Amino acid sequence: MTSRGTPSRFLQSVLQNGVGRYVCQLKRISLVFSKKGPSSLGVREFIEEGVVDYAKNNPGTVVYVSPQPCRVPKLVAEYLNGNVKEEALTSKTSQQIAELITKLTNQSGLDIIRIRKPFHTDSPSIQGQWHPFTNRPRSIEPIGPQKPPAS
Amino acid sequence: MASGYILNRGILTFGIHYQHVCRNVLLTQTREKKRWMKAYTLLMERKLKIEGPPPPKPRSQKPNWDYHAEVQAFSSRLDETFSLDLLKTAFVNPCYIESEQDRRRSLGVDSDTVALVLGDNIQLHTQGKEFTGNFLSDWYRASFPSLPSEAVAAVVGHLTSDAVVCHVARNLAIEELTMSAEFPVPDKVLSSTFLAVVGALVQSSGPKRAGLFLRDFLVTQMIGKDLFEIWSVMNPMGLLVKELSKRNIALPEPRLTRSSGAATVLPLYFVGLYSDRKLLAEAPGETVLSAEEEAARVALRKLYGYTENRRPCDFSVVQQPPAHQSMSSG
Repeated sequence: MTSRGTPSRFLQSVLQNGVGRYVCQLKRISLVFSKKGPSSLGVREFIEEGVVDYAKNNPGTVVYVSPQPCRVPKLVAEYLNGNVKEEALTSKTSQQIAELITKLTNQSGLDIIRIRKPFHTDSPSIQGQWHPFTNRPRSIEPIGPQKPPAS
Repeated sequence: MASGYILNRGILTFGIHYQHVCRNVLLTQTREKKRWMKAYTLLMERKLKIEGPPPPKPRSQKPNWDYHAEVQAFSSRLDETFSLDLLKTAFVNPCYIESEQDRRRSLGVDSDTVALVLGDNIQLHTQGKEFTGNFLSDWYRASFPSLPSEAVAAVVGHLTSDAVVCHVARNLAIEELTMSAEFPVPDKVLSSTFLAVVGALVQSSGPKRAGLFLRDFLVTQMIGKDLFEIWSVMNPMGLLVKELSKRNIALPEPRLTRSSGAATVLPLYFVGLYSDRKLLAEAPGETVLSAEEEAARVALRKLYGYTENRRPCDFSVVQQPPAHQSMSSG
């Protein structure tokens, strides 16, 4: 499949984030894990070691920790623009989970699809768009509007 | 092996037979291909098609919701110091209080023993609305001194319109914190909540911080927008004549400067406006009249200092407190 058929967007930010002030776009994070399951061992370790530090460093993100019997522990990240991302944490170590959370914190929450160009501007040209008359001298003689041929 | 096979078959037949007899009460559990699953999924699909998707649920009714923590996170996310009581009041709309009282009455709760202690955001909303209007028009007058007052009013009206304010409020997660009678929150209620939040900010950290908040979140919505998209001028030539005579500049004279393809379906004319033998503006158009109108708009943009290639507004004049570290634990 060629890349033209895939969904794409331009490089953008939510609400011109960063023009005025930077707002962390991750608003809520929930860690769902099992108290006994071997697959949530890393999550339990992370909750013991890192989750309090994370919550202290990111007061703008609400962290929920919910133990419930499940086979696949998961991380549900909700963003300011309403997008929700779920990541499975099966047999991930505490270090890997910390990296994943850092990645999710730094993301904007917009869909991760092909970006057409690695740059974007709202005003594409400072000097004005090129047209066939660019850099040509204006005619000194007065021009009358050319009449369409009578037919 | 053969005997084992026969035994197996026997058990299997017995199982099927057993199932056949007690059809209505399923007593045995068979670990086979679940043939009922297809019918069930099809039924559910048909139900979804007829009834449509279920109505959206407010976030507060889903699991993992702590209102106090959410409000606190809201204030620290925006890097503002809200007074939390004021901020919580700002989210309570009068329609929510009414519906809550109705609900309690229908449930038979005595209003004297369990009183509903909630203030609504009407006062904060009026204050925020007034402050927003004043601040935006002041900001535009300061940044674009030559912009006429009608244009400023149009831009402020655009920025405080429900569409823009709701777009900002939805992307700041104000929608889910809003206490409203209906869900999804109507645009009017949402925009009044946003203005109430601005009012709460004015009361808790002063008009300077509130001004910065508006500058960072509302004024940035004007980036990449043209003046005449927002301010519709019917007769730009008349306005240009008025502006030029106010400034004692000679009146504009339109001249056809360039033209191409007049006999084709895509004719192109360039009209230049000359004032006292100097070129004010030049613009293209498909007809001479539209080109002249466009040229008048270009001249007006130049007069007002709102050209496309103007210097961008500086949104970082005031030093912000340092941003928080994203993550440092492992």
